[in-house]
Amino acid sequence: MEELKSQILAFLEGVSKEKPRVIAEKIGAKKRDVDKACSELAKEGKIEYLYIGTSFVTLAGKDHTPGVIREE
Amino acid sequence: MTEAKKTPLLDELEKGPWPSFVKEIKRAAANSPSAQDLLGQLELSYVDKKAHWKHGGLVGVMGYGGGVIGRYSDVPEQFPNVEHFHTVRINQPSGWFYTTKALRQVCDVWEKYGSGLTNLHGSTGDLVLLGTKTEHIQTIFDEISNFEEHPMDLGGSGSNLRTPSCCAGPARCEFALIDTLDICHDLTNEFQDYLHRPMWPYKSKIKISGCPNDCVASIARSDFSIQGTWRDDIKIDQEAVRAYVAEGFDIEGLVISKCPTKCMSFDGNELTIDNANCTRCMHCINKMCKALRPGDDRGATILVGGKAPILQGAMMGWVIVPFMKLEPGSGYQELKDFLEDCWAWWDEHGKTRERIGELILRLDMRNFLRGIGREPIPQMVVAPRANPFFFWWPEEVEQD
Repeated sequence: MEELKSQILAFLEGVSKEKPRVIAEKIGAKKRDVDKACSELAKEGKIEYLYIGTSFVTLAGKDHTPGVIREE
Repeated sequence: MTEAKKTPLLDELEKGPWPSFVKEIKRAAANSPSAQDLLGQLELSYVDKKAHWKHGGLVGVMGYGGGVIGRYSDVPEQFPNVEHFHTVRINQPSGWFYTTKALRQVCDVWEKYGSGLTNLHGSTGDLVLLGTKTEHIQTIFDEISNFEEHPMDLGGSGSNLRTPSCCAGPARCEFALIDTLDICHDLTNEFQDYLHRPMWPYKSKIKISGCPNDCVASIARSDFSIQGTWRDDIKIDQEAVRAYVAEGFDIEGLVISKCPTKCMSFDGNELTIDNANCTRCMHCINKMCKALRPGDDRGATILVGGKAPILQGAMMGWVIVPFMKLEPGSGYQELKDFLEDCWAWWDEHGKTRERIGELILRLDMRNFLRGIGREPIPQMVVAPRANPFFFWWPEEVEQD
């Protein structure tokens, strides 16, 4: 699980936000395992959930406030 | 506080016989700068004929993904006190039974951090509190979850399980055929992780009705509608039937002719029901509740696929399980396994923002049933009085 969590964090470093299903596809893991890992990472405060029409996960601390211009 | 603005268009909404949210927001505006700016921004929306809210963003509490709906003003320079105007959903108790102390605790928190009270319960069932700032959200959560009595949790929002809700059931209703309150509480605790961490293609709702009258409209408003029902015969008190008729009750016009399957008859002395053809709609029992009662072998019908219009138009749930025993204290394992099977299939095949009913329509009922390991049954119809919409697998059809 720790290795999977590291993979998820590394993947999220390179993107603004992503859905758990896509993360699972990209890193070659089972969706259900990615869901569990995301849940633990959220409880640890390392990732956050984001809702823009549908839900995504993102690294904690990234600003996704609508209308705010950011450097990605 | 922002200077009070004139709101001629909103003022129109206060006219007429009905209570108006404008009146209530004006009352709140006497003490709340955000309520005052809310009125100003709403007036501007009426002038511009467009909403001035931006929906989304990252607002939540540590570890959670559901429970807070982010909303920002797109004219913050005009209305700085509603620059952030987030909604907090709080998980309601089963059947919405609160003590006054519990409600006072919520009101005290909201008085400190919110914009005032505009509405109390949303369609999903949660207690909804509209209008707070990003910096207050964690504090609100910490306070409500640490109430001395009746600590509360956040509800569901986002692509996850929405807060399960139910009718008042056996607490107040003679027709309750299942313990809706216990089922709702049990499912909420069991699936708490699905409620707080969005992991699915889109939202999923469970609503529980104690009987087929479906006062909480679970069939139309939830992906999983659990309705109390019975599977033995309707109980008839023939003396009471004759008493109804003797008092001038039009049994033919009000009951027998209105039976959807025409399974009832009255020969002037005895009422007969062909129970094999009864769809348990409850109409006759509602009309003659002193003479007719539901049977004793009680459980629930599970319907899947109800939803409001998003990708497809509005849909009602389809019967997938005609009868399932749901005894209080049993743990409801069969129901939980069924829900898990459905969610697993939907999570694997669903597109983003596609509800389970839409996926069943897209991939077909037979794929859904094979995915969850169930057999087709005659009750599976697209709409009332329509043909079954199960199509046999080609290899299962015997050709002449």
